[in-house]
Amino acid sequence: MIQFFHVSKRYPGGQSALDDITFDIPRGQFVFLTGASGAGKTTLLRLIFREEVPSAGQILVNGRNVASIPQSKIPYLRRTIGVVFQDFRLIARKTVFENVTYLPRLLGVDLQGQKKLAYQSLRRVGLAHRLNAFPPELSGGEQQRVAIARALINEPDILIADEPTGNLDPDLSREILRLFLEVNLRGTTVILATHDRDTIQRVGRRVITLDRGAVVLDQELVGTDPPALDLLAGTGPDPEPPPEGEGGAG
Amino acid sequence: MRFLQALRYFCREAAVNLLRSWKVSLLAVLTIAVSLFLGGAFLLVSGNLAASVERWRGEMRAVIYLKPDTPEAELRRLAAEAGRQPGVKSVETVTPAAARRRFQQIFPGLADLVAGWQDEPLPASLEVGLDPAAGAPARSAWLDGWRRRPEVTLVDDDREWLGQLETVVAVVRTVGLALVAGLLGAAIFTIASVIRLTAYLHHEEISVMRLVGSTEFFIRGPFYVEGLLQGLLGGLVASGALWGVYQLLHARGRGSLVSAVLVLDFLKPQEVGFLILLGGAAGLFGAVASLRREAL
Repeated sequence: MIQFFHVSKRYPGGQSALDDITFDIPRGQFVFLTGASGAGKTTLLRLIFREEVPSAGQILVNGRNVASIPQSKIPYLRRTIGVVFQDFRLIARKTVFENVTYLPRLLGVDLQGQKKLAYQSLRRVGLAHRLNAFPPELSGGEQQRVAIARALINEPDILIADEPTGNLDPDLSREILRLFLEVNLRGTTVILATHDRDTIQRVGRRVITLDRGAVVLDQELVGTDPPALDLLAGTGPDPEPPPEGEGGAG
Repeated sequence: MRFLQALRYFCREAAVNLLRSWKVSLLAVLTIAVSLFLGGAFLLVSGNLAASVERWRGEMRAVIYLKPDTPEAELRRLAAEAGRQPGVKSVETVTPAAARRRFQQIFPGLADLVAGWQDEPLPASLEVGLDPAAGAPARSAWLDGWRRRPEVTLVDDDREWLGQLETVVAVVRTVGLALVAGLLGAAIFTIASVIRLTAYLHHEEISVMRLVGSTEFFIRGPFYVEGLLQGLLGGLVASGALWGVYQLLHARGRGSLVSAVLVLDFLKPQEVGFLILLGGAAGLFGAVASLRREAL
């Protein structure tokens, strides 16, 4: 699914962010990417969705060489990858519905279709009832869940999350992590960058550790408190009714 | 995304952007409206002036003034001779008495000036209607021939001042074009700045759109439509203002020289359409130019 072959990334001025990285992430795997700040986690993630171009090496995503695809094809690559950031990146002046339906809209899905997709995606994160709210009206945890709904709306093959719980308190972090595990259970490959060693220890899964741009450890961890889903459970799926009569979207 | 769907999306987004930052948008619309208003005004004035010149050319005439003592029989003979010349549409004889009566009619306040003389104070004349289609050199040579005749004192010919008016029309057009080009350049710059500012205000949204896989066409489309709308609105405002000023001048100056010569007819519908489209093109050009080099 995702293969890195001797990938290096150097910025102008000679500063090295990644150095000779090689690994293979099979379809459906859940991977923690960890390391201290500045270890290269964000750069590595940005290489996957071609926000950055490697200085050397090859990156295959779904069999496509990301390093060499033309600029005009990048949008099509990104439509298969959902991305979640620590700072949510929601547009404050747009409603939750508008925030999550960017992709369906640009794919030409009609309004009814957009409403259906938005409802399904928001229901997965327990926020179907906030379709018409604006991001500033939501809590941090809710905003991050909207960002996850946006990333999931097109059922991406890969979900990338860069410190998604960095701005949240422990309870909310647990809730968000549960969502990622659920998404992974449905077959989506998840790569989650975090420096929260406690969570990694408790949840387990594959852990790639970076240090100063190099992979120093790539191991399968068995969670100390399995099963992880039970451990992280706390809120169930959204119980609200289907969107009939739900107005205002779009 | 289908093109029409995309266009609908672009228009909606552009309209929202225009309303959201209405102050800067208004500035851009007014800048382009001022340039197009002045352009339209020059078009209107030069068009009417050119039409007047054309009309006067159709009514071109020469007046041949004869010596005061020319007998009436000689006057008729000369009129008949002039009437035989190709390119002469009509010849009217004006006797000294008729000339005096006409003067008194046209200038009643000065009527005493020509009254009470022993002899008629004004000379007899021939008013010759000329065919503008006839060759100018032949006409010129013919009139020069009359000037040299002993029974003629003066030949007054419309050609000279018509030529001067044509020069004025050309100057008005050239100055208008230069002025409008400069102002349009300023308007394009304003629109480009407004679009760049809007794009900057939307940089967060643009980065999200890129993240989810938007194409450049989808990202830039609303900005292009915004520029186009600003330009078209500017064109509409300019045309409306021009129509208003035209109506005002027309109503106030009824019967005056200004009304008769400069604001006789309003612009043709295709000229108004051209003004509005020119605004749209300028707006679109401003938007494209502003986003072309920008990384967005």
